[in-house]
Amino acid sequence: MREHSGRRLRVLLAKLGMDTHTVGITIIGHALREAGMEVIFTGLKQTPEMVVAAAIQEDVDVVGISTLSAGHTRNLPRLARLLKEAGAEDKLLLAGGVIPEEDRPFLLEAGVGKIFTMGTDTRDIVRYLEEWWAERQAAETV
Amino acid sequence: MGIAADVLAGRIAAGARAITWLDDGDPRGAEVIKRIFPHTGRAHVIGITGPPGAGKSTLTNMLVGALRARGQRVGVVAVDPSSPFTGGAILGDRVRMARHTLDPGVFIRSIGTRGAAGGLSRSTHDACLVLDAMGFDAVIVETVGVGQDEIDVVNLAHTTIIVGVPGLGDEVQAVKAGILEAGEIFVVNKADRDGYEATRRQFELMLHLREQARPEEDWSPPLLRAVASAGEGAAEIADAIAAHRAHLDSTGGFALRSGLREREQVLALLRERLARVARARAGDSLLDDVEARRLDPYSAIERLTGGLDQEG
Repeated sequence: MREHSGRRLRVLLAKLGMDTHTVGITIIGHALREAGMEVIFTGLKQTPEMVVAAAIQEDVDVVGISTLSAGHTRNLPRLARLLKEAGAEDKLLLAGGVIPEEDRPFLLEAGVGKIFTMGTDTRDIVRYLEEWWAERQAAETV
Repeated sequence: MGIAADVLAGRIAAGARAITWLDDGDPRGAEVIKRIFPHTGRAHVIGITGPPGAGKSTLTNMLVGALRARGQRVGVVAVDPSSPFTGGAILGDRVRMARHTLDPGVFIRSIGTRGAAGGLSRSTHDACLVLDAMGFDAVIVETVGVGQDEIDVVNLAHTTIIVGVPGLGDEVQAVKAGILEAGEIFVVNKADRDGYEATRRQFELMLHLREQARPEEDWSPPLLRAVASAGEGAAEIADAIAAHRAHLDSTGGFALRSGLREREQVLALLRERLARVARARAGDSLLDDVEARRLDPYSAIERLTGGLDQEG
């Protein structure tokens, strides 16, 4: 057994509203765990308010929202705004799932850090997070 | 330092960040503990442990509700296993506690074991101190699913609840299990399932043997039934917790346990620190020699600790 200590990337994964499709978020959770990250699941039917409260209690670095049943143009900007109001805008907000091309500029403008669409290879998500994390740590130690 | 003052003021984000530092072994965490330690020792630490699948998270969720209804502010530290291979973890205990997420009187924190055996992480004790300093009246520590001897929580908690469930393991298993020798409150959860009566009888037998073996014990552990998913048994368990707390207060046991816990923590930190120092001092050559079988492990340890032994 290896010794594991030191800083470890913590990622909260959640689904908002009545969307109950959990296959994608489960696969991503396991991929992040395999990459050595700590993944916190909050369950289904979360409101943006609940996600923000959990993200602060868990002191996560990343909040990932899986969205497969619309509602994203409403609740993702709301989540970004609530994170900012709570002083937690340094957390990276990721969105994944079914997000039409035409919605993406608006979401990125509204505070979503990165969007992964259906069919994204989990290795690409891991790589993106590792690079973001390396940059963040480099910035912290300056 | 700002964070320690904010922890003492009960600010959630500050407490959450302090726990991260302590979990990561960041030196800023130790600085926070130095500041807050004089203000700790007040919270009632309640351990919840039992085998995987016993419904510990659901029971914790139910208990949070019951303690809140009695006006207590409740912190929860929920420990889940980290992968021994990657160090990553899926921390899912709070899924069952989602209804308390927006309650400002509840703070739930998920922690990975990060290589520690015993059912807790190395940081769990410190996380309890932070929640204590934040003013939570009760701190519930939910362990990973445990087997027979992962009972570190017994040393950490003032009151430990052992959760059993029908249909797990045979009688011999239950009687020899170290887990049943510990604990102040016993709960058979999922009591609406087949096999409840048999499981309850096993617990009764075991508690009877325990009482015979320890006639000097002044607390008689209650055996309770629960169906946590339906909220059944909440009041009885909350009553038992309150009764045990009253017992501890009347016998001086509360302060005694808190004190012993801090004593143990010093020794645990010392072991960790000395191991790190010795390891750093060793470099790799001694380990290389053992790996190549030029040196045996005991001789290697004698060389590594030689100076220390003589001082002792």
